[in-house]
Amino acid sequence: MGKRRLIIAGAAVVALAFSVLARAQEGPIMIGSSIPLTGGVATFGQHSRWGSELAVAEANARGGVLGRKLEIDFQDNRCNPAEAVKSVTQMLAEKKYVAILDGLCSSVVLAIMPLVERAGVPLVVANASATSIAERSGVGGNKWTFKVNPTDASMLDALIGWLDKDGKANNIAFLGEDTDFGRAGSTGLENALKKRNLKLATVDFFQKGAPDFTPVFTKIKAKKPALLALYAVDADFQNAMRQWYSLGGGIPLTGRVLVDQVPREIMDSGFLDGTTSVQPYDPSVDTPGNRAFVEAFKKLHNVPPILVSFEAYEATKVLIDAIRRAGSTNPAAVRDALVTTKLPSILGTVIEFDDHNLAHNNAIILTIKGGKVVVVGMSKT
Amino acid sequence: MDLSFYIQLLLNGIVIGVIYALVAMGLSLIFGVLEIVNFAHGEFYMLGAMLAYFLSMNVGLGYWPTVLVVTAVAVALGYVLYEALLGSLRAQSFERSILLTLGLSMVLQNGAVFLFTTTPRMMQTPYSYRNIILGDVRVSVMRLFALGLGLLAFGALYLILYRTRVGRAMRGAAQNREAALMVGIDPRAVSRLAVAIGIGLSGLAGAALAPVYAVHPLMGFSFVFKAFAIIIIGGLGNISGAALAAVALGILESVAGGFLPLVMADALAFIAMIVILLLRPQGLFGRGVRV
Repeated sequence: MGKRRLIIAGAAVVALAFSVLARAQEGPIMIGSSIPLTGGVATFGQHSRWGSELAVAEANARGGVLGRKLEIDFQDNRCNPAEAVKSVTQMLAEKKYVAILDGLCSSVVLAIMPLVERAGVPLVVANASATSIAERSGVGGNKWTFKVNPTDASMLDALIGWLDKDGKANNIAFLGEDTDFGRAGSTGLENALKKRNLKLATVDFFQKGAPDFTPVFTKIKAKKPALLALYAVDADFQNAMRQWYSLGGGIPLTGRVLVDQVPREIMDSGFLDGTTSVQPYDPSVDTPGNRAFVEAFKKLHNVPPILVSFEAYEATKVLIDAIRRAGSTNPAAVRDALVTTKLPSILGTVIEFDDHNLAHNNAIILTIKGGKVVVVGMSKT
Repeated sequence: MDLSFYIQLLLNGIVIGVIYALVAMGLSLIFGVLEIVNFAHGEFYMLGAMLAYFLSMNVGLGYWPTVLVVTAVAVALGYVLYEALLGSLRAQSFERSILLTLGLSMVLQNGAVFLFTTTPRMMQTPYSYRNIILGDVRVSVMRLFALGLGLLAFGALYLILYRTRVGRAMRGAAQNREAALMVGIDPRAVSRLAVAIGIGLSGLAGAALAPVYAVHPLMGFSFVFKAFAIIIIGGLGNISGAALAAVALGILESVAGGFLPLVMADALAFIAMIVILLLRPQGLFGRGVRV
């Protein structure tokens, strides 16, 4: 009697395990994402989310992947590495996510890279631009991290090469936020200039969220540099633009200037004419893929995509493609599929990873002429 | 460096200093009368700026009517805040006041994020992109308006405190609550008025600065911590001390920012605060008598 009970109980446990497994197989494929949904760069987090959601919606509209729908669990990290470590640790412990997407801020990505490596789950970086992420990935480093967007170093090298052609790379002042983003910007510029026996004229950093730039702008103006490399985003960028305008500027900007976020009045006035920026993306890039992306994005959100939305869109597509080719939601299989990625980008190139798991999409060189942003060239990063 | 460079730094510093003073005076007044450190003060500044943005950009109200309406709403909000929350605090409940105002700050900040998102907004006025230019020295018209409003607010507050009966009552309650009660001053009415004026000042600061700085739910944070340093430097609860310390700090930061790395200039307020706490704990202008 006891033996029969034992057999029945064992059968029940096996049946329950199979039903849980079956349900898990039937449910959506889960991707984890830790991005800033609140805090100082939440606008970027919002755009990153919109970009990823569009890629997932397109894949789901085609019937999903491996016969299942895709879903992204977005968790807020406030662009704070400690918050990101907390949320990603929890996601990895739950073991239901096929991969972790993004992180958005460079400091955050650098903090979560060791976590995904220990857990053996791929991390697909969409937005963080610090060069050190790629330097620590792939050969001799973290084999689970893949960076879809170009590094600051590669973009700034393309920019300085462009400026140097016209003899404009000499005498550049630098002002950036005191974060991994700003620091990577200054290091990237310094290295690109060093190759050409040049150096930055001045270097200044500001605390993120500091509202007043008038003292530092007065100082920079007095030093009369040829160009000012500005590394500021979100509210800092808006404050900087207005204060630079009120102080008369007179020095064109360069670096990774967010030309699509310059207040219209300032842009239209021609005040920023001569500004040359490098970005991984601009909505005006004229390719069929980009036109379709911009149209779909605008239809959903009534605003055009920004570079963060584009990067999140493409990185999510890279991950979806890898899951499809892996034929499995096993994280190791997805990682192996990521290594052999060959996916057409909406910018007209093909996304492939190098030995450091870094993709080399085009950098776009933009200038402002007559109060309008003009794409003057694309350069392979 | 030519003379215009120094004049520009000085002018920038005076404007920034008066902007600091606008935020710090309200904080100092509330501490002076109620002995409450209002950690939510920056959030009332943010709400003032948000309301100014809404009235100006969505309702189409002009700049000056917007400033008046926002200040009036902030004063009314101050009354409500006192009656609903701060009035129940007793003199001994210092820790409770910290927890209460910190909690309020979080609720207001996250409520604003939920309702308005964190997208920074720029309030436009007909003067937003106009500058006064004297040779190589430039200042935006909106900054000059903020400077004027700050000076006006300081003058009005000074007159209320030193030339009116209610101001004398406020100073009396701040110096000795029990003695004020004995001579017929209603400490509750005085406290209510102090909170209303204090929050009104932060609302005014928000409205005055909405066309100067980007408006977003986290904008209060950067100013309020500097305001804390300023009221400690000026002497806790001393309005004139706070105003003078604010202007001095604005000039110091600006001039230092012209020569030192910006991050070092930002730390000046807190370095000054530590030095003052070590050498003169009652503050530069503190005489043991508040307001």
